This record gives sequence, structure tokens and C-alpha cells, in this order.
Amino acid sequence: MTRTELPFRLAGVIAVVALAALPLLGNAYLVTFAFTVLIAYILAQSWDWVAGEMGYVNLGHYVFYGVGAYAFSIALVAQYPTAFALLAAVGVTAVVAVLIGFPMFRLRGDYFAFGTLALLPLAEVLAYNLTPITNGADGIVLPVQNVQTISYLLALGVCVVAFLMTVWINRIRFGYALKSVRNDEEVAEVIGVRILPVKIKVLTLSAAFAALAGAIQSWQMSYIDPATVFGLNVALVPVAMVLFGGSGLRWGPFVGVLALAGMQQWLLVNVKVLQTTIYGAIILLIGRFMPGGILRSSWVRGSRWLGALGRDHHEYIVDKRGADPRVAATLPLPRLTVDRRQPLLECRSVRMAFGGNVAVNNVNLKIMQGEIVGLIGPNGCGKTTLFNCISKVFEPTAGEIHFAGRNLRELRRDEIAQLGVGRTYQIPRPFSDLTVQENIAVPLMYHDASLTPRQALEQARDFVAYAQLTPRLTARADSLSLQEKKALEFARALACKPKLLLVDEVASGLTPAEVTRFVDHIRHVRDDYGVTVIWVEHIFSALAQVVDRVVVLEQGALIADGALHDVVKDERVLRTYLGSAAAGVV
Amino acid sequence: MNVEVFVQVLIGGLLLGGLYALVAFGLSLIYGVVRILNFAHGTLLAVTGVAASLIFASWQLHPVLIALLLMPPVFAGGYVFYMALLHPLNRRNHFESTVGTVLVTVGALLILSDLTAKLAGATPKNIPLRFAAIEIGEIVVSTTQLGILCGIAVLTVAMHLFLKRSWFGRAIRAVTQDEVGAQLCGVQSTRLKALTCAFGSATVTIAAVLYVLSFPVDPYMGFGLTVKAFTIIILGGIGNLPGALLAGAFLGVAEGMTGLLWKPEWAPALSVILMLLILVALPQGFARKSA
Repeated sequence: MTRTELPFRLAGVIAVVALAALPLLGNAYLVTFAFTVLIAYILAQSWDWVAGEMGYVNLGHYVFYGVGAYAFSIALVAQYPTAFALLAAVGVTAVVAVLIGFPMFRLRGDYFAFGTLALLPLAEVLAYNLTPITNGADGIVLPVQNVQTISYLLALGVCVVAFLMTVWINRIRFGYALKSVRNDEEVAEVIGVRILPVKIKVLTLSAAFAALAGAIQSWQMSYIDPATVFGLNVALVPVAMVLFGGSGLRWGPFVGVLALAGMQQWLLVNVKVLQTTIYGAIILLIGRFMPGGILRSSWVRGSRWLGALGRDHHEYIVDKRGADPRVAATLPLPRLTVDRRQPLLECRSVRMAFGGNVAVNNVNLKIMQGEIVGLIGPNGCGKTTLFNCISKVFEPTAGEIHFAGRNLRELRRDEIAQLGVGRTYQIPRPFSDLTVQENIAVPLMYHDASLTPRQALEQARDFVAYAQLTPRLTARADSLSLQEKKALEFARALACKPKLLLVDEVASGLTPAEVTRFVDHIRHVRDDYGVTVIWVEHIFSALAQVVDRVVVLEQGALIADGALHDVVKDERVLRTYLGSAAAGVV
Repeated sequence: MNVEVFVQVLIGGLLLGGLYALVAFGLSLIYGVVRILNFAHGTLLAVTGVAASLIFASWQLHPVLIALLLMPPVFAGGYVFYMALLHPLNRRNHFESTVGTVLVTVGALLILSDLTAKLAGATPKNIPLRFAAIEIGEIVVSTTQLGILCGIAVLTVAMHLFLKRSWFGRAIRAVTQDEVGAQLCGVQSTRLKALTCAFGSATVTIAAVLYVLSFPVDPYMGFGLTVKAFTIIILGGIGNLPGALLAGAFLGVAEGMTGLLWKPEWAPALSVILMLLILVALPQGFARKSA
């Protein structure tokens, strides 16, 4: 615990105790208002696990609330004990979440938002029409019980758990998986994170809390009908609250709920007409002027007192030691034993066609363990496509790729990464809103199950130092220059503990000194750690310093394979690079 | 079941499906160019439909005149809506602009439907204009229905030609495929986006007038229509007009048949279930065809 967090914790404990004591005042109106705020917070916070952490805007979150409410009410009416009814609500909703998750996660971005929103009318129709179960438009009346206080305390308890869960998620490996999905799903897989289970899990978790909110609220109201639990005009309230506060921030949902619930209460009392219009206008204005939330606005971030509220999650776990000036000469990588006679990678008649455009045509290629191979060819000849086939960004149209004795066709992207294929992208794709340190810690913790995120962050320092990025350790990756991003991505690929490193034009656009640095790095990882390297590059002078041989692609086909000084005399290669006239001269 | 009823339902379904397709045209044009899903799109139909029925009730104008009367203000509204509310969100990062546009369009949806309900009442409205019916054997087809079908056909062909032949249509298709490329070729993308928003909204006006001629509209039905239009886009491909028309006809007939063969109250669920099924069946999502 740090000194700045202590007042927050104390204030939090006092606030929770005070809220728990609220029913003792005997003011029923106040308790009811506090209850609605608590329920809204549960919904808002659970929504933000999917949206703020993972970047998926689930507009059908209220479906889970409604399913939970119905399951709870039906169980209670059937005379089951309350605890069982609560469990039933969570269980049924979790199953629904898993079933919904599989089709829905095929959608991205605003399609996902739309697809999930369309679930609301579906749920409403189901609730109206499945009369034997839901009692249709008449709704369900719960047995009469005086549960105002107990339901209030239960809601408070769930709220506290939801908040602590948020803090916890941001400290564990799972949280980093969410953040990597939020930034770049393909890269997340390429560095070895299996993302589908992560998505389903977080949706299920979020659904379970929404179900609890629905169950507790229906218990308190003792009546539900389709319109109150699936209506479009209520369903987006929690979403608006989070976005108003600041999605993805620890205090965002909390502040947003307090502000908007207060405003809503005021409207309810003071404005009698056009409430939906006013509410719609509020949503519209939030969307237009502050989709990032008030906590991200400059006057909150800059304020001495409120600034701490606007802190990003990673700012809580920032390495307080700051940057140390050491320059790492060694990396915490295993030293692979290398047998130069054994192939590590074998491409057999690999073909990749996009419609009629054949990007890789019948390529046969064998890369031995511990080799450094330059992959050259004019732009558009299929070098990067071949890389994409090896890391399974594309599934080859035909042919087979074997790596370390496994057929890659049978493996997923993340399994290939786990097996030992690391890669960089021609245009660097770091996780933009994570720090340099976190960018490297994510693959580290996913390639060594015993590593806690804290230890991974610690180990990441060596890689950062190796990439000479130590002064930028806690900077966000999107604030780096292109050169720094390339260095970061190279380090991140190494953090995947690769047997085979695919380097895509890492030196282009760099100064000669920087090129030399990468040449040294590539030689070093091969000589010291036994990493096999395929290097796509146009700078022959750089390749010449380090490669064992080069492979030339032209229009998707392999046209030459051999030592660099032989290949540059090859007639076909000359023709490709310099035209037919030049080929005749030599 | 007798054949006449079946054919009647079939025609009704085709009619409804054609109207869905018209709604989907505008939505997919706007999506293709502006890259936002306009949640208020169907609500715009509901609102203009209510307006059309009110105009008819007051002045008994011909439906074509009503459409012409309503188009300019809706066109201007779409333009202003884009420039004032959506365009400024382009400057923000990806997540913020996504949630921003969702909130803006959903907010617009709520405001439009609530204001309309307040001003015009929430009861369903239509244009009670009935032309003579034609009887072909046992099957009765009203000339209103025929007129609407013709309207749909004419509009589809006109839009298709417009997209393929006119400069504006080419620019729309260019921006749909590659915005930066289109900009480099001299397309002013901001203005084009605003115009597309306006144009997409204006097409809704025609759809709305055709809609109220045969089906009642109320201020709250809009979102259901948007969902249907979205399903049609998934089925038919973005910016693919013939595809949308086919998909719309399929959905309309399927809804009609659900009502005929099973229970009408399940018809509204059909489009969502269909969408889910498509998502499950096609691992790659859906056809991302360009215009």
C-alpha cells in the first residue's frame, strides 16, 4: 500500500460502514434512493469489465439483469429458499451468457454493440410470449415479504465485491489478457494469449453480477414484468453512467453512477414532462462531448484533489523504483540447444491465395535450427504473407508448414506462439494504451505460467533495458517514436521466448547506428540463446553482416536460395531487382 | 390452408420486406461511408411516418406530394445531425468515437420517439387511402399494394443507377472502399459523409410514406425496424442493393409465414434469431461486400 492510497481506503471503509448503517436512520426514501444507486453501480461496474477492460461495448447488458430477475422470481414463487433463488439467477444467467457469447464475439466494434442491443427486443418478445414460464405481460408477483433492509444490505455487499473485483482483475494475468484484447486481438494471439475463453469468461462474470442486481432489485420491488427488465429506455442507463464517469477507470463507474443517479432523481422530482427526452438528451450530450468521461477531462486530471480519481489502472501498479540506468547484456531467456542439421521450420508447397491473387506460390523452404536466414524480394513478393502464414494470421490455401515437429495446420495462433514462434510487424503494433513495461510483461506472464504479473513486470525491465528503452519504462506505448516502437516490438517478440524469430523490416527507416544495433541484437540472440531467425529486410548491408544464407521470393515464388554473395549474382535475382539489362551485364 | 390466404400473405410479406430493404439501403449507405451504425435510423422512419399521416389527415395531399414535402427538412436534418454531432467525434480515439456515436444516435432515438409521442400521441397511425382492388381469380390485390411495390422497385433501380452512374454515387462507393484513397483522388470526405447522412435519411422519408400507406406506425416501433435493417445488411452485404432487396423480401415473407403458420406474436423475434443463426453458421461473420 502506498501513502496516496491510504486515505482512499479509509474513506472507502467509512463510506461502506456508513451506508450499511443507513437503514437505522429510518428514512425509507433515503434507503430506496441509496438502493437504486447501489444496483446501478453493480450494473455499471459489471458492464465496464467487458467494455472498459476489454473494449467490447455490450449494449445488451440489461438482458442479463432481466434473465437474473426472472430466474430469481420464478424460483422464489416456486417456494425455493432465497439463497437458492439467488444461485439459480446467477447460474441460469451464466449459461445464457456463454450461449450468447459464442455468436456475439464473432462481431467486432459497433457490430458487437448493435448485435448485443438487438438481444433486448428478443428477450422482451420471449418474456411476453413464453407465458407458461414468465406469465407474459402480467408479470410475476413475488411472495409478500418485508425485505427492504436485507435486500439493501445484500446490494451493498455485492457492490463492495464488484469494486474489489475490479481492483483485483487489474492485478492478475486475466486483466492483462483483457487489456491486450482491447488493444489488438491479433497481436494478443500472436504473443500467445488464447482470447476466446478470456472473452467468454469476462462476459460470464459480468452477466453474473448483472443477474445479482436483477435478482436483488426484483426481490426489493416484489414485482417484475417484461417492460421493466428489458425496456430500451432503462437498458442504457448503466452504460451512460459509466461513460459519463470514465470507462476503464477505477473510479469511473462510481463517479458516473453518483452523478447521473443524482441527476435522474432530481429530474424525477422536479420535471414531470418529457423525461425520456431529457434522458435521451443527456445520453446524446455525453456521447457528443465526453465519451471519455469527466474523469479523463483535463480539469479533473490536473486538479490536486480530484486528480487521483482520474488515474488509469496501470498508474496504480506503476513501478515506484522508476528507471534504473543499467544496460542489460543478458536476457532471462533459456539457452536452447541447437543442432544445425535438424530443421526447425519446414514449408512444403505452401500456397496462399486471396481470391485470384496468389501471394505465396508453392514455396518449399527448410530452415535449420540456429540459422539466420534473410528473406528478400521486391515489395509485394509475399514475404510478409509468408510470415503471416507461419504465425497463422492467415491459414494457407494449400501446403503444410511444420515447426519443431508439429504441423501448424492443427494449431491455433496462440498455440503456435506458445510453441516458440515470435514475430514483429512491419508497421509496429504495440499495445497502445499499455506502458512499455506492460507490453513486455504480457507475453512473459503468458509464456511462464508460474510468473505472477508483478514478477513479469520485474522481469520485463531486463528486456526494456536490452531494447534501450529504460527511460521510457512507464510511458504509454502510443507515445513512443517509430524507432522506439520497433525496438519495443523486437523486445516483445523476444519476451515470447521464441525458438524462431520472424523479424519484418525492423531496420528500414533507421539510422546506420540503429541498424547496427539490431544486427547485433539478432546475432546475439542466435549466438547466446540459440534463437533461429528469419529476417525480412531490404538493407543488404545489414543482412550481409549476420545472415547464413538468403532466400529470394518473387511474385510469391521462391527463386533463389543460398549464400548472399552467390544469390546477388544469380541471373533471376538480378533481373528481379535491376531489370533484364542488368542481368546480361554481369 | 387455402392457397388464396397463402398468396395474400406472400404478397404482404414481399411488400413488408421491400420496405425493410428500403430502410436497410439508407442504413447501409451511411454505414459504408460514415462507418457508424445509426441506431436512430428506423426511428426516423417511424417519426416521418407519423408526420406523413398527420399531413395527410390535415390536408389530404397525395402521398407522393407528402414525400416530396418531407424530404427537404429530413435531408437538412441528416446533414446537420452529422456535422453537429457525429463529425466532431472523429477526432477522438477509436473507443471513444465508437461509444460516442452509439450514445449520440441512441440519444437521438430516445428524443425522437419521445417527442413524437408527446406531440402526436403514441397511438398507431397510417394513411387511410385505399384505391380500388384488382381481383385475379380468388386473390385480391389492392392497387395501393401494387403502387407501393412499384414505388419500391422504382426507388431501388433509381438508387442503383445513382450509385453506379452519378459522381456522388461513385464517390460514395470510393469512400466505402477506402477513405484515404478517395480523399487523395479529390473527394471531400467530410462533406460527402454529411451528404450521405442526409441522403440516407431522405431515402427513409420515401420508405416512411410507402410504409404508412399499408401499415400503421407508432413512435416506438423504430428500433425494431433498425434491427431488421441490420439483419438485412448482414444477410445481403453492406452497400449491396440487390442483396438487400432479396434479404428484405426473405425476411418479410418469413415474418408473414411465421404469423400464418404459427403465431404472429413470434414474428418480431424472427429477425434477431435469424441474425444469431447467421453469426453461428458463418465463422467469418458475414459478407463484407463493398458497394
